[in-house]
Amino acid sequence: MKEDIVLLVIVFAVWALLAILYATVPMFAMPGYSVVWGWGSLVFLLLAAVIWIAQRRKPPSAAHPPGHSGPGAEKA
Amino acid sequence: MKAPALTEGLRQLPAGDKRLLKVCFGAALIALTLGVLFGAGTAGTRAGFVDSGPLYGYRMMTAHGVSIFFYWLYFAQAGLLLAFGAVFTVPGGHIAWRPLAWTGLATMIAGFVASGYAVIAGLPLLYDAPPELAGVPSPAVAAFYLGYLLLAAGLFCVAVSGVATVLKPRFDHRIASWPVVSFAAVGWAGLLIVSSIAALNAFLPAARWALGLSPMPSDYSVGWHVLFHNMHYLPLMATVIVWYVLVQAVAGVKSVFGAHLSKIAFAIYLIFVPPTSLYHMFLEPNLAEAVRVIGSLLSLFISVPTVTVFLVIVASLEVHARTHGAKGLFGWIGMLPWRNPAMAAMGMAVVNLAIGGAFSFVLIQEKIAPLLSDTFFVPGYFHFLTVGTVTLTFLAALCYVLPGVTGHALWKPGLLTALPYFITAGLLIFGASGVTAGYLGVPRRVLDVAYDGTAPALWGTLMAGIGIGGVIMAAGLLTYLYGLFRTLWPAPAEDVAGMTLPSVAWGDVTPAATRAWAGPLSVLLLVGAMAFFTALAFEMIQALPLQAAGAMGGH
Repeated sequence: MKEDIVLLVIVFAVWALLAILYATVPMFAMPGYSVVWGWGSLVFLLLAAVIWIAQRRKPPSAAHPPGHSGPGAEKA
Repeated sequence: MKAPALTEGLRQLPAGDKRLLKVCFGAALIALTLGVLFGAGTAGTRAGFVDSGPLYGYRMMTAHGVSIFFYWLYFAQAGLLLAFGAVFTVPGGHIAWRPLAWTGLATMIAGFVASGYAVIAGLPLLYDAPPELAGVPSPAVAAFYLGYLLLAAGLFCVAVSGVATVLKPRFDHRIASWPVVSFAAVGWAGLLIVSSIAALNAFLPAARWALGLSPMPSDYSVGWHVLFHNMHYLPLMATVIVWYVLVQAVAGVKSVFGAHLSKIAFAIYLIFVPPTSLYHMFLEPNLAEAVRVIGSLLSLFISVPTVTVFLVIVASLEVHARTHGAKGLFGWIGMLPWRNPAMAAMGMAVVNLAIGGAFSFVLIQEKIAPLLSDTFFVPGYFHFLTVGTVTLTFLAALCYVLPGVTGHALWKPGLLTALPYFITAGLLIFGASGVTAGYLGVPRRVLDVAYDGTAPALWGTLMAGIGIGGVIMAAGLLTYLYGLFRTLWPAPAEDVAGMTLPSVAWGDVTPAATRAWAGPLSVLLLVGAMAFFTALAFEMIQALPLQAAGAMGGH
């Protein structure tokens, strides 16, 4: 699960960087691009945050022990 | 023969989930049917086979683009996202926040109706609908933009439900890590949400103008370009996710590189979305020269994610096939289950992606983009991607998904296996005529290119090729659609058990260490084709007695 978070944070970082570039560098000045990539970066940051929260939550009971993976979780 | 995990998982979904997916895929098939009919009409008009007049001709062209590019591709993605998220995340999974997904689907259908009304009642604005073309605000123009906004809002709701579907088992502590398909689904849903934001950014100011609430937006084209870029990427990302799923269904094969690399490959898709977007702006006269150069260089990376996932899939198939005795460089390809309709559709999708991909690289170079962008080169090449790659792939997925959600056997799998070859034959005639026409300067969005008999005679011949290819494609697709409708709607309900499609089960044996050359060789061939067609384009255009002035600040 940690790698899922890391990958989504990388996506956030690249998108946010591009959004800042489009907003601040005169040569690239395209507010429309900046808005979409900026909001998009926040979408992926939010997804990473939600996964992180899910990871930190403690299981309520032993009814569904953690550690089970979905069908073919190793490679599927 | 054991049913694949996809079909089996879909059969175990709650009845409410199945109803939702049936409506979603039904809407997708209706959108594709209408789009194909209007596309055949447009191609026939261009070829001179039918005389629909300019107003109805452009209405058909608009309805074709809107139905397929916006509604078919996104109804299908909405359904596939929910289906994959529910089936692959955890055994016995289901769609989370189903009322939200229903709300999203209903909103998308409302958007489809609004767009249909706009096309019938108003001026045909083509699918990009620039306000300048509409000229003055009107209820029909407002309906055009509102249709797109409703589609975006609906997609947002469905994507959120898709994310919840994949996340809920994690919150419930039923899984400790996500399968690759679930991770890919989250990325896919994220990009759908971003595209909803991009649609809002593009169409809300235009809708306000069309309702008389604000002046005409001055930067509509920028908003359109950034949305359009996402709309290029999303169906291709969905395509490779579907391939990843279907390869398991038809051959029992999972990635030999492991989950980690596969997740990175899907993450690369998302990482490369914004940096490769600048080439859409090459026709904008005010774009700085340095930005054009940077955009041209970055655009070269656009195929990296698709090629990466393609290599993972092809190498995994080849290694497993060699473990099962495949000989020779390409002998393993013959061992694939080609009598399976999904396999045939995927095979043709790969061929069409190679052709369309090679030509697309011609168009994303800043020196040549302004010369070809308004010619028939564009529809000539992109149908290899929209029809030949994405649509065939989604149809392949439905060959498994529809039997799973309905319990019906797939209608005439033998015939459906032959149709991708037939459709591709039509596409090759259409594409070869279209790309040649583009190189020779035939304009893209002019229905009658005879110019009162002053146009070169070859143009008319090439347009006849467009018409013939278009009619063949349409016939193949409509037959395919009939088969899927028969599978979807109450039909002679034979149980899926015992009706599994031909497949191989290579995944039961651990693959041996072996070399797999087909993937890298395919990429090498693709790069060679890209270089050849680019050089050809420059040669032909330099031979023209014309200078193009659009993109170089010439006006």
